[in-house]
Amino acid sequence: MTALGVAGLVVGGAALVALGVDAGRRMAGRRLHRPDDRCRSLEREARELREECRELRASYAELQRSEAEQVNDARLTSVGSLVAGVAHEMNTPLGSLHAGHDTFRRALDRLQAILADERVDPEELEEVRRIVRAVDRIARTQDLAFERLTHIVGELRTFGRPDDAEISVVDLHDGLESTLTVLGHELGDRIAVERRYGELPPVECHPHRLNQVFLNLLSNAIRAIDGPGTIVVATESAAGEVTVTVGDSGVGIPEEHLPKIFDAGFTTRKERKGMGLGLLISQQIVHQHGGRIEVESRPGEGSTFRVRLPVRMQARTASDPGGSGAGTSGSSADPSETAGAAREARP
Amino acid sequence: MSLGGRDAADGTVLLVDDEEMVVTAIEGFLELETSYRVLSFTSPERALEAIAEERPEAILADFLMPGMDGIQLLERVRAVDPTATRILLTGYADRDNAIRAINRVGLYHYMEKPWDNEHLKLVIRNGVERSWLFRQLDERLEELESANEELHEIRRRLVRTFL
Repeated sequence: MTALGVAGLVVGGAALVALGVDAGRRMAGRRLHRPDDRCRSLEREARELREECRELRASYAELQRSEAEQVNDARLTSVGSLVAGVAHEMNTPLGSLHAGHDTFRRALDRLQAILADERVDPEELEEVRRIVRAVDRIARTQDLAFERLTHIVGELRTFGRPDDAEISVVDLHDGLESTLTVLGHELGDRIAVERRYGELPPVECHPHRLNQVFLNLLSNAIRAIDGPGTIVVATESAAGEVTVTVGDSGVGIPEEHLPKIFDAGFTTRKERKGMGLGLLISQQIVHQHGGRIEVESRPGEGSTFRVRLPVRMQARTASDPGGSGAGTSGSSADPSETAGAAREARP
Repeated sequence: MSLGGRDAADGTVLLVDDEEMVVTAIEGFLELETSYRVLSFTSPERALEAIAEERPEAILADFLMPGMDGIQLLERVRAVDPTATRILLTGYADRDNAIRAINRVGLYHYMEKPWDNEHLKLVIRNGVERSWLFRQLDERLEELESANEELHEIRRRLVRTFL
């Protein structure tokens, strides 16, 4: 090959290479241009998805918050009912103490007036005797009133805080009686309570939570009764299981409502005071204990709720009664239906 | 104050409340501040028996009591002795129910718990006096009736004698 030929080849080659590079560059440019667009649109989509996701997360958090609030509302309602009951129970002893104190002051003033001249005249003696008789009556008032107030505080202790996770072995009758005491003002003379207590072995449970179940069932029974009526509270035990029955002579539950009564938000109360969570919470508490709630009802005749509990709590340590973030230890790792609710609602 | 030879502070007051602490608080106060004879009961049935026998001037009854409420009790008191002054003591929560029943019983007064001692004294004092005046009126009417009866008898005799 001649030098010229070689040079020509080189030039031609270079030109070809240049051409090829250019074409390649152009081609590459086109190829690069299209994915860029797609990238941008993907980025846009991703942004939108992220935005939607954020919104969904926010509304999920909102839902969780509102569920927790509702459960909390339901608790506050039972706390409210408890407080109203306690306040009512305290009225009589406080009113009596108040009036007694006024009398006591008056008696003291009189005694001081009599003793002002450092002596008691014979005619004043009768007055002193009268004062002593009056103070003696007031002392009796105070004895009775303090005894009552101490009793109320004791009942409150038995009733306890709903969040207390303590497990103990108790006589369920104590819890039923405490609950009936705090509901006393709602029962009044309108509703007679018939106790059909059987022999119960001590039951291993979260007593305060079971009290909340009793409170919910009894409150429902009271509200189901329009005018005068009767609530039957019965207990029995058989084969390692105890049964607490709350029956009312109230309006009953229509058949179509029966499957829904344990649903969150289900209520027939117009004032919607309880958010319709009472039975749901009760059911969860009973499930935690390895028990179950059964219901029977005839419209116009009344309803009967049966709480069946094992005497020994079954190996469940779930301790979030309301399935809510408001619970305490939240150590629920069990696969039962309650665990699902507890898990979902954990913060 | 003297009313026809009788001291206005004399009289019998009957208390009924199923809560003994309420009864003793009022008893103590009346013992100190008045010279009324005070009869107190925690059972409405027992109170009714005493009302028929002792004829108290004023009856102070609690509204919510087991067995028989204050309204029912005072209704029966009205039948037994309409001249006795009837006072109802009600808890705050029972107020509406009590007010509805007041007209049925012809209450003199109703007092809310917690009560004020001074107000209670005034209501009881006026109630006792009112009852005493009613009874005086009843007596006078009876006297008038028997005087009228006597006059009629005399007139009959005169007519028989002279005609």
